[in-house]
Amino acid sequence: MSPDVLRLATGIPGLDDMLKGGLIPGRPYVVSGTAGSGKTTLAIQFLQQGVRRGERALFVSIDEPPSEVRENVRSLGWDVGKIRILDVHPSAKAYSKKVSMVEVAAQRAVGSLMDARPDAKAEAMKLVSPDLSAQSLQLMLRQELMETRYSRVVIDSMTSLKRLSETQGDIDNTLLSLLRFLSESNVTSLIVTDVPDPTKLEIESFICRGEIRLHRLMLSNRIERCITVEKFRGSAHDTLPRPLEISAAGLIVDSRKKLSKMALRMLQAVPSGAR
Amino acid sequence: MIREKVKIGIPGLDEMLDGGLIPGRPYLISGTPGTGKTMVAMRFLLEGAMRGEDVLFVSLDEPPNELKADFKSLGWDISKIRVFDATPDVLSYDKTPVRDVSTERRVSYFGEIRDAIRRTSEKGPTDMSVNTVQELLKQEMKIRKYTRIVVDSITSLKHFFIKTSEEYATVQSFFRLMSDLGITSILTVDLPEVAKEEAEAHQARGEIRLHKWFDGKGLQRGVTIEKYRGSSHEQRMRLLKITDEGVVVKTSEQPKPKEEGKATKGCVAPTVVADAKKEAKEEEAKPEPAKDKPDTHPKPVLSEAHNEPAPAKKKEEHVAKAPAPETPKPEPSAQNGGHSI
Repeated sequence: MSPDVLRLATGIPGLDDMLKGGLIPGRPYVVSGTAGSGKTTLAIQFLQQGVRRGERALFVSIDEPPSEVRENVRSLGWDVGKIRILDVHPSAKAYSKKVSMVEVAAQRAVGSLMDARPDAKAEAMKLVSPDLSAQSLQLMLRQELMETRYSRVVIDSMTSLKRLSETQGDIDNTLLSLLRFLSESNVTSLIVTDVPDPTKLEIESFICRGEIRLHRLMLSNRIERCITVEKFRGSAHDTLPRPLEISAAGLIVDSRKKLSKMALRMLQAVPSGAR
Repeated sequence: MIREKVKIGIPGLDEMLDGGLIPGRPYLISGTPGTGKTMVAMRFLLEGAMRGEDVLFVSLDEPPNELKADFKSLGWDISKIRVFDATPDVLSYDKTPVRDVSTERRVSYFGEIRDAIRRTSEKGPTDMSVNTVQELLKQEMKIRKYTRIVVDSITSLKHFFIKTSEEYATVQSFFRLMSDLGITSILTVDLPEVAKEEAEAHQARGEIRLHKWFDGKGLQRGVTIEKYRGSSHEQRMRLLKITDEGVVVKTSEQPKPKEEGKATKGCVAPTVVADAKKEAKEEEAKPEPAKDKPDTHPKPVLSEAHNEPAPAKKKEEHVAKAPAPETPKPEPSAQNGGHSI
């Protein structure tokens, strides 16, 4: 028996309890859930925890423009000034003047979440920038990681990245390469995805080392939220669903509480993929 | 029975397989992510290593350093298991010459694997393909007489190394190679939550499927034998637990009837609910025999992994299926939980 491996706290104490201390550093993990289940909030908390401990944290924003992310997070009352953000939110597509892949990194600005604001210059740059794909993202991150040693990276979301990469062919290999690249750079990454289609095997869910899933259950008179650890390689973990609250302070997980009977029944009734 | 069977080393599972796997043939372990496939596969190799056999783990999913760390924290000594790191490199997207993998990577003991992840060479990524993996296996067999091989996972092999159009033929040739080499092999398969038949399911001589689902008490795990050519096998699901020490499958004891009925209604393997009609029938049939004898289980099943064998159970085999002969009376009390080292 060896002493437990080093763990990386997620910044959500109840979730860390469920994970027996936190995530194992240097590996890719998935956070899945339906829209509005709290995935992005969880991801920001994960980065915030890193910043609190003096680590460098990067948020790769594909789904939302950074200014909106900032506003949403501000409304939670957090100071997110130290989280850096890679703005790859695709804007209006330009059909002329495609730039070669290698130049992409120079085009997309990394800024701290603090000064994320609609920037006329950046917007103008984007008009001529090429499509975002897993390939171009890896190249951008390579450049970014050469300058700054990040220990935590969030990609929000993989679902969009996959859709955007579809034209490129061979998405599987480029996504795998992207995650491998982050691992080789000693980065612990959190990949935000929608709930997978239960009939399809989503690549991120079998190449990641763990999956945290957020559920939003519609009960007759209210909505109940809960969180499960679906998979966690190399570690024991809580196998029970635990109640989840989204409060002004972010996600709160009570790892000692059980789910209400009704919610539990709901969770069973839905095939796990559609939860 | 043809030859002496190869034990996986999990007493309950070996019992379900009527003693183990038939040597020299390829088998599948399938299941959704997080069901414990890699763990069962590694247990199979460890069993061989403990008997002094040469065993090989071909890793396409996880970097060996992570596997080493993970199994170390479980307390398993996998240092005498050989491993081939077939995980793909970081792509460079530059025009670097593709380098032949055989010069770059070789088989080594898990004990020799370094703690940090293998970095993609500055010279660029190596070229990995089904052919390179197959060539490697052939060459390795010339050097050492392996008795057990695990390929983790065939899903990665298909996703990352094979063009979709060639999938069936390539998977077929891979299985052919496995049986030509005469090694008892286990290939792991990642299933989506609603499974459909894949190429490998036709090719394998047997399939062990791992399940997980939620019931009132939380996450439950189970194991079924979906197919087993040339051998009798357990027809029903048994509960499986992943404990601090590893994988435990009950020996000669079925889930309590009430529990199983409930689980089927709820969602034993969502697979069943959705499309796989054939399986649905099997699943429906499952709880019935158990209901006939509700009193054979004095203990609450879910809390106890080491129940006494209940010989009465054996008469309840499905008649429609290949009639399973008497399972050899296990000595489970001695072997139970015997996966610890």
